[in-house]
Order: sequence, then C-alpha cells, then structure tokens
Amino acid sequence: MITLLTMLGIPFFFGLFLCCNRNITNRKTLLSIVSLGFVATAVVTVFSWTSLLEQEITVFWLTQNLPLMFHLDRIGLLFSILALVVFLCAGFFSFSYMEHEKKERRYYGFYFLVLAILQGLCFAGNMVTYYLFFELLTLSSLPLVMQENTKEAIMAGLKYLFYSLCGAYFCLFGFYILFQNESTISFLWGGNLLADSIVAHPVLLQVAATCMIFGFSVKAGMFPMHGWLPTAHPVAPAPASAALSAVIVKAGVLGIIRVIYYQFGAFFLQGTKVQTLFLSLSLITVFMGSLLAYGEPVLKKRLAYSTVSQVSYILFGLFLLQGTAFTGSMLHVLGHGFMKASLFLCAGAIIHLTGKTRVEEFTGLGKEMPILLWCFTISSLGLIGIPPTGGFLSKWYLAIGALDSEIPFFSYVGPVVLLLSALLTAGYLLPITVKGFLPGAEFDTEKITKKEPNLWMLLPVLILTVLSVLMGILPNGLLGFLGSVFR
Amino acid sequence: MDIIRNFPAIAILLCLFAGIFSSGLKEKAAGLVNSCLIVIEIGLNLATLLYTISLGDSFVYVMGKFPAPWGNELRVGVLEALLALFFCVIMFLSMWGGKHKLKDEVDPEKTFLYYVLLDLLLSSLLALIYTNDLFTAYVFVEINTISACGLIMIRQNGRTIEAAVRYMIMSLLGSGLLLLGICMLYDMTGHLLMSNIHEAILTIVAEGQYTIPLLIMIALISVGLAIKSALFPFHAWLPDAYGYSTVSAAAILSSLVSKGYIFLLIKIMYRVVGIDIFRNSHITDILFLFGLMGMIFGSLSAIRENDVRRMIAFSSVAQIGYIYMGFGMGTEAGMVASIFHILSHAATKSLLFIAAIGLTEVSDGKRQFIYLTGSGYRNKMSGVTFTVGSLAMVGVPLFSGFISKLLFSQAAILNHGKMLPAMIVLAISTILNAIYFMKTVIRIYTPVPNSPYPPMDLREHWRYATALFLFIVLNVVLGVFSDPIVRLISNGLAMLG
Amino acid sequence: MGANLLANYGEAVAMILFAIGFGNLLIQKNLIKKIIGLNIMDSAVYLFLAEKGYVNGRIAPIVVDGVQSVEAYINPVPSGLVLTGIVVSVSVTALMLSLTIRLYMRYHTLNLDEISTQLRKEGL
Repeated sequence: MITLLTMLGIPFFFGLFLCCNRNITNRKTLLSIVSLGFVATAVVTVFSWTSLLEQEITVFWLTQNLPLMFHLDRIGLLFSILALVVFLCAGFFSFSYMEHEKKERRYYGFYFLVLAILQGLCFAGNMVTYYLFFELLTLSSLPLVMQENTKEAIMAGLKYLFYSLCGAYFCLFGFYILFQNESTISFLWGGNLLADSIVAHPVLLQVAATCMIFGFSVKAGMFPMHGWLPTAHPVAPAPASAALSAVIVKAGVLGIIRVIYYQFGAFFLQGTKVQTLFLSLSLITVFMGSLLAYGEPVLKKRLAYSTVSQVSYILFGLFLLQGTAFTGSMLHVLGHGFMKASLFLCAGAIIHLTGKTRVEEFTGLGKEMPILLWCFTISSLGLIGIPPTGGFLSKWYLAIGALDSEIPFFSYVGPVVLLLSALLTAGYLLPITVKGFLPGAEFDTEKITKKEPNLWMLLPVLILTVLSVLMGILPNGLLGFLGSVFR
Repeated sequence: MDIIRNFPAIAILLCLFAGIFSSGLKEKAAGLVNSCLIVIEIGLNLATLLYTISLGDSFVYVMGKFPAPWGNELRVGVLEALLALFFCVIMFLSMWGGKHKLKDEVDPEKTFLYYVLLDLLLSSLLALIYTNDLFTAYVFVEINTISACGLIMIRQNGRTIEAAVRYMIMSLLGSGLLLLGICMLYDMTGHLLMSNIHEAILTIVAEGQYTIPLLIMIALISVGLAIKSALFPFHAWLPDAYGYSTVSAAAILSSLVSKGYIFLLIKIMYRVVGIDIFRNSHITDILFLFGLMGMIFGSLSAIRENDVRRMIAFSSVAQIGYIYMGFGMGTEAGMVASIFHILSHAATKSLLFIAAIGLTEVSDGKRQFIYLTGSGYRNKMSGVTFTVGSLAMVGVPLFSGFISKLLFSQAAILNHGKMLPAMIVLAISTILNAIYFMKTVIRIYTPVPNSPYPPMDLREHWRYATALFLFIVLNVVLGVFSDPIVRLISNGLAMLG
Repeated sequence: MGANLLANYGEAVAMILFAIGFGNLLIQKNLIKKIIGLNIMDSAVYLFLAEKGYVNGRIAPIVVDGVQSVEAYINPVPSGLVLTGIVVSVSVTALMLSLTIRLYMRYHTLNLDEISTQLRKEGL
C-alpha cells in the first residue's frame, strides 16, 4: 500500500509542486528539480514493479461494490515499463529542446502529472479505477497539447478534449450495463460475466462491449474517431508529442485489452458481429492512416498519421482474439512506442536546430547531422517492419496470428492489408532518409556545416533506437514473458 | 434524550422568530443573527438526525394539544433530518460565499430585509421538510414562494423585477393547482394529516371508489409542484431569476428552493398517496418523459448561452430533469438516485454559482465568456473550485456527480421498460454537459497576455475562499463516502412509506 | 353524471371559475389582468372548499343553546382553511401588485412582453 502510494505520489507531488510554485524562475533550479523528480520517480517505479507484481491493493471503497483497487499484472507491467522509458527519454530530451520555449515550469509540471496518472492507469486493478485514471489522463494531458498557446493549439486541444470525453462516456455507458451483469469488476483473465446474463441478454452485452471498445478506440485513434489525433499530436512540443503518440494512445489500447480479455472474455466475443465490426474498422484505419501519411508534407503530421495506422495494427491483433496475434500486438505496443518516440524526437531535434518542418526541405540533412538521421532511418526501418528490428517481429507474429485464426475473409485479407500498409510506410518514411543522405548532384555540399544536436538530445534518441533494435535481436525473454500472459 | 423530539419544531419556530426579530435590526446585526441562526439550525438538525438514526424509526411531534385526526403534526425520520441538515449546511456556505458581494448588490439600507427573507426561507424549507399536514405544507409553500421572490428582487434592476414577476406567476399557477389538489384530497378523504389521508386512500382504492378524482388529484399535485420546481416546459422564469439575482440568492434558490418542492412531492408520493398507487396512475411516465426532455433541452440551452450565470442556471433545468427521471422510473432505486442527486446537485450547483461570482469579479463584473478568458489565473481559488464543480457535473469519479449518475444508471437497468430511453438520454446529456462545462473551464484557463483586470487577493476574502474550500470538501465527501449516505437515504425512504 | 353535476352546482361553478382564473393568469399579457385572474382562481378554490364544508340544513358549529348532536353542525375545518387561504392570497396579491407598480414606474407599461423587449434593448 505504502509503496504504491509513494510510487503514484512522487511524480504527482513533483507535478503539483512545479505547477503551483511561481518562485522558480531560474532555469538551472528548475532543471535540477525536474531531474531529481525523474530519478526519484524511476527508482520508486522500478522498485514497485518488483515488489507489487501480482498483488491486489484496495485503497478504498467508492461505494459498496466499487472499490478503488490496484493490481499490477504482467500486461500492466509491460505498459508501465513503456511509459516510464519513453517519458524519461522524452523528458531529458526536453531539457535542451525547451530551452527557448516559454512556460517551461508549467510544461514539466503537467508532464509529471501525466506520468503519475499513466502509472496509475497501468496499475489499475478494476474498471472503475481504470476509468478514473483514463478521465484524468485526458484532462492532465490537455495542457501539454495546448502548451504553445496559439489559437491553433487551443482549438486542437478542444478537439482532443471533445473526442476523448465522448469516448470516455461511451465506455461509461457500456460499463453501466456490464456492471449489472458481471460477478466482479476486477480484471480477471477470461472475463467475469455472469453465466445467467450471457444466456439472458447476449445482445445487450454485445452492445455494451461495442460501446466500451469504441470508447477506448477513440483514444487509440481508430477510424472513424481518429480525427483528433493528427490535429492534436503535432501542435504539442516535440517531446510531448512523442509521449502522446508513443504512450498516451496506448492507454486506449490497454483499455481495449482490459475490456476484451479481462472483462468480457475472448470467448464471449469470438465470432460475433462485434469482432467483425472492429476487425474491419481496424483494417480500414491501418490502410487509411498510411495513405494519409503518404500524402502529408509536414513531418510531424506525417508521423501522427503514421501513429493512426500503426496503433490499428495493434488493435487488429487484439480483435483477432488469438494467442500469436496477441503476442504480436504486445510486441508492437513496445516496438511502436520506442520507434515512434524516437522518430518524434528526431523530428523535434531537426525543428529545433534548423527550423525546418516540411519533408521537402530535408534534402541534404544527412550531411549536417548524420547520427540523428541514422537513428531516424533505423526507427523507420523498424516501423516498416524490416528485420532485424522489433517491428519485423511484431508484424510477423500479427500475420501468422491472422492466418492461424481461421476467421473467414480476415485471415487472408488482414496480412495483405498489413503488407500494403508496410509498403506505404516505406513510401512515406524512406524518402526522407534517401533525400537526406543522397541529396543529388545539384545540391551544394560546400555550404553544409555539421550541426549535430547536443548530447541531451542525441542520447535519448539513441537509447530508444537501440531498444527497438534489441527487441528484434533478442526477443526470447520478451516472448516467454508474453506467452505467460495469454492463456 | 427525548428533548430532541422538540428540536424540529424549535428549529422552524426559531427561524420565524429570528426573521421577525431581524426586521428591527441594522444590517450588521441582522447578518450576525442570520449566521448564528443557521449554525444553531445545523446543530439542531444534526442532533435530530443522530436521534432518528439511533431510534431507527421516525417519530411524530404533535403541535399543540390536539391529537391525530384534527391536530397539526410534524413527522421526523432519517431522510427528513438528513435533508434538513444538508440544506442548512448549503445555506450557510452559500451565504458566506456571497457575503462580500452583498454591499455591491443590495442597497445597504435594505440589507437587513435580505436577512429577514433568508430566515423566512429557511423556516419554510424546514417546515416543508418536516410537516405532516398538507395544508400547513401549502401555507409554507406560499411563504417559500414569497421569500424566494423577495430574494430575487432584492437586487434592484429591471431584469430582476421582471424575473420576479415571471417567477411569481409561474409559482402561483403551480400553487393554485396544488391547492386545488389538496382540496380534492380533503374532499375525498376528510383528512389533512398525511398518515390519515393515506389510510383513507387505501380504503378508497380497495373499494374502487373515486378512481377518476384520485387520478386528477395526483395529476394536479404533481403538475403543480413540477411547475414550481421548474421542470422542463415550465422553466422559462428560471434563467433570469437565477442569472440576475444576488449570488447567494441564486445559489440558494437553485440548490434549495426547488428541492424543497421536490421533497414535498416525494412525501406526497410516499406518505399520502402511496408509491404503488402513484405508480399505477402512470403520472410517473409523464414525469419521466418531461424529465428526459428537460435533460436534453436544458443542456442544449446551456450550450447556446453566452453568460456564465445563465449557463449554470440552464444547467439546473437539466439537473432537475435528472431528478424527475428518477421519480419517473417508479422504483425504489430510482427514488434513491433522485434523492442522492438532490444532495449532489445542491452541493454542486451552489458551488458553481459561488465560484462563478469570483470569476466574474476579476473580470470587471462582466459575465460573458469573452471577458472571463484567463480569469482562472486571476482568481485561483475560484478557478479551481469551478473546475471541481464542472468535473462533478460531468461525472468524473471521486466527485458527487459520478455517484448520482451511477445510481441513475443502475436504477435504469433494473427497470426494463424505461432502460433504453433513460440510458441513451443519460449518455447524451452527459456529453452535452461535458461540452459546455469543459468549454468554460478551458476558457477560464486560457491565458491572456496582459489582462486589464487585477487579480483577486484571497487573503482579503478569506471567508469566500473558506466557503469555496468547504464546498469542494462537501463534493468530495459526497463522491467518496457515498455509501453511508445512500444507506441513510434508503432507510429514510423505508421510514417514509 | 348530469344529475350529479346539478346537485353539486357549487363545485361545478368553482371548477369553471378556476379554469377561467387559471387561463387568465396564464394567458393575459396585462399584469393587472393577470392578478385579477389569480384572484378569481383563488376564490374559486375557496368556493369549492366552502361548498364542501356546508351541508344543507345544518348550522354553524357555534354553541348558542347548548351542545346539540354532531348531526346538527356543518364541518368547520374547510371554513378555517378558507380563512387561511384568504390570508395567503391577500399577501400574494399585495406582493404582485407592488411588483407591478415597480415595473410600471420603470417601463411605463403593464404588458409583460413589452417589458421584456425593453429589457433586451437595455442589454442588461
């Protein structure tokens, strides 16, 4: 109990402290406080991973049958690791990225709050707790989107808020129905629907499942509720977009996992119209996201569209309700998290150093900052799915899972769409590398000066890139871990 | 401890006397009397509540020496005491929250009248809650109307007088219908005491007499009280009345006055007519329908509104819709949800009104949204409180609104016929709620570079800040420790029947 | 049905009056006419109550020549109710009239809709 509260409390305290304390005007003081916060959070979180795994902790009872309960299981652990790593990397990246930005204090304050809430989300042990942190996540990440305070940023923030709240209420609506028909609201693998209710109101429960999955899919940016994502992610400062795109969308993914596998149970949805509906929606999103990214000239927007597409890979794997595909999805959760964060940070570094935002301006960039562009390239390759990166592995498992699932139509259309989308991904990411390293004959190489970003920026990018490659090279431990999740 | 049996009667009489006494006092003294009065009332009602809980049943207090069929009685149960206590607390906080604005809003010469009206309002509310006699209820309904009308128009400008006239007209229509209903009831049963009427009605129904008059009577009373509590199609007077009166008055009117009538309706449903007969009359279905319409149209009007106080007022229309929807389900669960929503709405709405005044104050007194931009930074406490209130209205867990929505939806699921409309409207209304409240919260937290308006010094307004803080605490308590309260409510309902 | 109506003509008249009063209070634009409607409505209720309380051929329960049997007196409670009701309605009427005077002094009209229009023009 105490470990848990400290784990949530430390980043929360730092967040509140930074938000409320007006006296910190010196940048050095601010940064040292922030670093202290990061280190403390990391230590406590790592400690609580080891000491709290598979423990149920009820903090208090909201009403008689609604406890606020935390329970770190293996899925939660996976997401928690992802959140911590990406947040630390993007956080240290911000040290030099935010140098010339206004309102740094506010930025770091909310950054810590979001981190605390994300950890709460990963540790949540039942639906109410999850919903509580899900709502809080929306509200606390809003200031990050609106950080720039331009009209565009505020409108994007509003759009984000409305989409997310609508989604959250769909969840709540479904949950109200579910609540009456399940034995307990805790997350249990295989679901905890009452046997009588499955017989008595199957349609009603399917409606509830649709509502809940649909609600969480808003956060994950699935068609038709993806509209907020390409608007909201690029307007945030680059490290914040990295966190948003790599981690916060995954809150929706985790929600869907909880709903499908831990509340309704995979067997209940197997072969229903709900499964068909969401399989088709996710495939549409995979293809459409790539297509939109292909046509988008602004790099950060292109990456945001790519998130739309890539997260739906994960969702597709989840909706297949099949072990191998589930493993693929989980691998992609991690892989996409690391790669997308790295790509966004690269984009941020480029914007920070050159002020260029559009893809066609990046010609010859490889001569100016070779290491950064190499990281960008490796992460791109991972996102496309070329071995030996982690992206290859996850897509491989997804495709195998789809073929094994023997769902008519989707088992063979799915892999085809995934392949097509991978080609499109190559089409929208690789030209940046190619143009960057091989600017062409007419490009004046004389004027180029080395502008490699400093270590604060480079190191997080490197770490993320290396992690994504390591996943592909040494996957055995991870695969064993994931195999123990899907029973 | 039997002395506590006298407390409800003492509470009512004390308010009346304080009102009369204050009318001879100066502004300051009257305010002091009023504050002391409410504190004493809180103590009295708390004692009553504890006594009824320990008693485990309701008790009857005979006013004067006349025994049951002729005399006048108070009847006190857990639910009544709980509501009375809660109303006193809300009144106290609203009073203190709006006190510093009073000198701008009301002519100093007439401020003592304001306190007189508040005292009378409190007495009538308590009487409405405790009384066991229908005609007494009618008289106090009128006293309530008159003092509420006075509270609306004590801030003298054209708008408030017009609003007061409109309020009076609607209220009088409502009380006319109520009075006629009571007369018909008397005609049929020959009694005015609720318990005796109930016995008589049971025999009437058992013998199958007077079916049509009974139906008409139920309809008259329900419609009359619905008009008075601003149920959806009868809400035209509400935004002006709440939007332009003094801030404390707005908070008290929206959170307490309409709730007093609603509670009277609950008592008539349970104790006079009997819930089964009431449900079989299908008036509940009509209330349900109007409730649903109110939930949607109230929220839609609130979205269109450009004035923060009128927006909050329109949101009241929607919330009263929720309460009537709970009645309309005609089940115990629905009723518990409604009563919990009475509490939660009272706590939240008064909080919003009081917080909104702090925001307008740092925006040069202007209430349009465009001037409120960034006011959350100029008045931190109000900004935070308004955000908490909005979250509670939207239904985020840990705050009161979540619990009432949860209770409503559980009640809806238990009622198969009305589940689907109730759930769908609940969802739509929640989203609409979220739209206009979140819009406001974002607006007040959108920074403006060089604001022309000075920030508020909270140390100077410590009373205001404390009131806001206590409101937040109240909301969180309702949201977090809802279980014992819900249990009290269901116990109280069982005692009512 | 018809016979009942004829026998209880007092109640029937009261109901008609109530409807007239209610309609006036609701529909009339002129404030004074509204108040008159209010009074008609209230009086109708009192008529109804008084009719209910009175029994043909009995006397008021005032003891003059010693107490007679219960059958001899009418029910006094409705009369008491009427008295209370009158007090309430008088105070309400007074309040309404004073409000009307206020409005008239400000806007020089008794028409509620016109007052609303003027208020909107004031932009308050």
